[in-house]
Amino acid sequence: MLAEPGQRVKIKVKVNGVEYEEEVEPRKLLVDFLRENLNLTGTKIGCDTTTCGACTVLVNGKSVKSCTMLAVQANNKEVVTIEGLSTDSRLSVVQQAFKDNFALQCGFCTAGMIVQAHYILKEKKPLSEEEVRDLIHGNICRCTGYQNIVNAIMDASRRMGA
Amino acid sequence: MSYSGKSVKRLYDDKFVTGRSTYVDDIKTNALYAGFVRSNMAHGKIKAINVDDAMKMNGVVAVFTGNELNQIIKGGIGPWTTYIDPRPWKIPLWRFAQGETKYNGEPVAMVIASDKYTAEDAVKAINVEIEPLDAVIGMDEAKQDKVLVHKELGTNFGFVGDFNAGDADKALSSADRKVEVEIANNRLIPSPMEPRGIISQYDGVNLTIWYSTQIPHFARSEFSRIFGLPESRIRVVMPDVGGGFGSKAHIIPEELAVIAASMRLGKAVRWTATRTEEMMATNSRHNVFKGEIGFKNDGTLVAIKGTLDVELGAYLTYTEGLQPTIIPPMIPGPYRVRDLAIKSRAIYTNTIPITMYRGASRPEATFIIERIISTVADELGMDDVEVRLRNLVREDQMPYTNPFGLKYDTGDYPTLLKEGVRVMEYQKMKEWAAEERKKGKKVGVGLAYYLEICGFGPYEFSETRVTDDGSVIVSIGGTPHGQGTETAIAQLVADELQIPIERIKITWGDSEAVPAGTGTYGSRTLAIAGSAAISSSRQVLEKMKRVAARSMKADVEEIDYKNGEFVHKKDGRKMTWNEVAKEAYSGREPGLSASVMLEGDVTFPYGVHMAVVEVDDYGIARVKEYRAYDDIGRVINPALAEGQVHGGGTQAVGQALYELAIINENGQLAVTYADYYVPTAVEAPKFKSYFAEKYHPSAYLTKSKGVGEASLIVGPAAIVRALEDATGKRFNKTPVTPEDILK
Ligand code: FES
Ligand code: FES
Repeated sequence: MLAEPGQRVKIKVKVNGVEYEEEVEPRKLLVDFLRENLNLTGTKIGCDTTTCGACTVLVNGKSVKSCTMLAVQANNKEVVTIEGLSTDSRLSVVQQAFKDNFALQCGFCTAGMIVQAHYILKEKKPLSEEEVRDLIHGNICRCTGYQNIVNAIMDASRRMGA
Repeated sequence: MSYSGKSVKRLYDDKFVTGRSTYVDDIKTNALYAGFVRSNMAHGKIKAINVDDAMKMNGVVAVFTGNELNQIIKGGIGPWTTYIDPRPWKIPLWRFAQGETKYNGEPVAMVIASDKYTAEDAVKAINVEIEPLDAVIGMDEAKQDKVLVHKELGTNFGFVGDFNAGDADKALSSADRKVEVEIANNRLIPSPMEPRGIISQYDGVNLTIWYSTQIPHFARSEFSRIFGLPESRIRVVMPDVGGGFGSKAHIIPEELAVIAASMRLGKAVRWTATRTEEMMATNSRHNVFKGEIGFKNDGTLVAIKGTLDVELGAYLTYTEGLQPTIIPPMIPGPYRVRDLAIKSRAIYTNTIPITMYRGASRPEATFIIERIISTVADELGMDDVEVRLRNLVREDQMPYTNPFGLKYDTGDYPTLLKEGVRVMEYQKMKEWAAEERKKGKKVGVGLAYYLEICGFGPYEFSETRVTDDGSVIVSIGGTPHGQGTETAIAQLVADELQIPIERIKITWGDSEAVPAGTGTYGSRTLAIAGSAAISSSRQVLEKMKRVAARSMKADVEEIDYKNGEFVHKKDGRKMTWNEVAKEAYSGREPGLSASVMLEGDVTFPYGVHMAVVEVDDYGIARVKEYRAYDDIGRVINPALAEGQVHGGGTQAVGQALYELAIINENGQLAVTYADYYVPTAVEAPKFKSYFAEKYHPSAYLTKSKGVGEASLIVGPAAIVRALEDATGKRFNKTPVTPEDILK
């Protein structure tokens, strides 16, 4: 989609089960679209180099760093963010496991980390600790030292019957 | 019912796991957005700033330079006078660049636009002409004073101080052995995951600032001084903060510019640093110790003499003045050496100004003394444990006043070492590693010992308030930003008041809601804010007893309190907690609250940590396991304490092996986040964290000491020691890179 500066493009995106039709600049990043247009600020921006994973969301079921994708690329797709993983009254198994295992400190990496955990646990197959570490290596946590995050993901995996 | 000592779950996690947390960048306001044009030169004269193209752009509201901003930014950024005596210092005026730029990356102009995309466009459209001036990038060159960073100071030395104790020359000359040492901690970047952020709003009278900070009250006083506004008209609010590690107890010109712009425009202005900007804002460490040590043939260390050079970068930041004055007196560490002569020098260069990072000064001091002790061991062919046992301060010498006057409060250093070695299975791991090496694998095991100083005063505030429904709000001056300390404090208060923890809310971080506060840094919060909270809660309970007594028409001495009930000792009449609370609000007394200002003093946790390292054929090292044995006094919440050990330990892995803020010959930060190599889950070790079987309490009501920085204080030394075991080579700096290992 080529566009003139200042031009706006209409996109249709389903986010956390809700259909949105919005006009965006073609250069707008998906993460900014989520945070600014839809006020879904659970998804965080930690870097400008696609390094940290704080902005991880699911796009059509795949985990994506939303700072690496344009909002227009999400046109006609389905996005799930941290806000879409729980209902008001119930935490997801992964969210509960993070709480129970002290898998967060400042909480800034947490949304991205939990979304990534949902993604890697989708297939409900048993994972070794090493595999979990490999599968979350695109998500940086500066606070926890990862041990408790790995424990939480293993715990969630067991609770989900993997 | 007792909460303290248990791994109680963190109270406020739901918002974080569901994405409802609110960091500065998440706050919705009708604010303009700031962007910064930066110098691409280490030192230069600003000839022209061409803003015409930018001003023509749709959505651009203003472009400011130092000429306008510094009319509002009256004072400069100054040192943290709570802890730093400015008198022996040479301090340049640090505001927004005006006329000259002193480092590569320094902001030289500011754009105000409707949103961040437009701000970024406008930044690119501004053309700055800078005429290069001679610059000094490295400390060695700066020390010659040929090229000056600040002409008006007449020198690049910001501080020179002598830390002398005993007679180092005499001790050296009578030592059996002498060895020269050179030990360096290189430049790092603390890298909290949430970059710095600020929103400033000015209504013509009052200034409200939402700020990702560790020190809202100090920030308020600094802004008051800098902008010439009374403190009563400034409110600093600390929302959720995504990590700090010392870097958010720091104020930068960009933030002053945001405030100045909001005052000038009478509108809210916001700015969130990009990661690249964050990396430039918070460089830290970089100091080198060069000297000579003397020891006896039996392994007793008798003398340390040398010079410590601490880099400042282009300006003296709020916190960097701590390093040159805290590192030297902490160099003796837990050891009995009494003859020392350390010259400490702080040096300006045309590079990014340096601020503090987790542990600030103790990681440096610990790395220096642990390298020294290991050097003694290697020179004499002694065992690491044995040489430490020979030198550690003994229990019968406690409390022990170190040669520079620091009073080590409580502890049994040798016993902890022996226990630690047993619990961490050090000998077994050493033997295992030796066997593996015979099979050709490059693995090694190393340990290091540390003594930390924390619990820093000067004071901490706490208020306990009981509301009319009987719930409790505790406001603390400490400002946790991820440590979970608020949960531990709630545990302490719940025990003190003997009520369920669910009834307690802890608040902090708003300079108007909390009358005073020192903040969270230096592992001080649980000991000092926790003790303040115990104390204010005790006082509230006394008040409640008085209310109960009055209501029962009895003397206060006749009232007993237990588990939420006030009981008349003689006739057994009872009032519940809620009844007393309600009664207190029924008009006779205006509510129920008590506040305290608790004076603080330093306390000294200590411990021994061990690392297991493996090196591959490319010289890439991995820490496979990390074990810690700490005496941090009474442990209030073991899971939280352990979390600090894990987090600090992973940062230690980064400091020891991967993280290096490379500054190139143009003074430019030559790494991005993609190649600065903060450890991921793959580089992070498996942790085992243990606390002393018999703890040695601090003088605080909590009996706790502090653990927030421990593993970053000692970890680098333990990891480097393990690397030496693995490779048979000597390393005296951090990080140790693959090139160093293969060399
Ligand atoms: S913000 Fe997207 S990877 Fe860091
Ligand atoms: S909890 Fe702070 S970055 Fe992970």
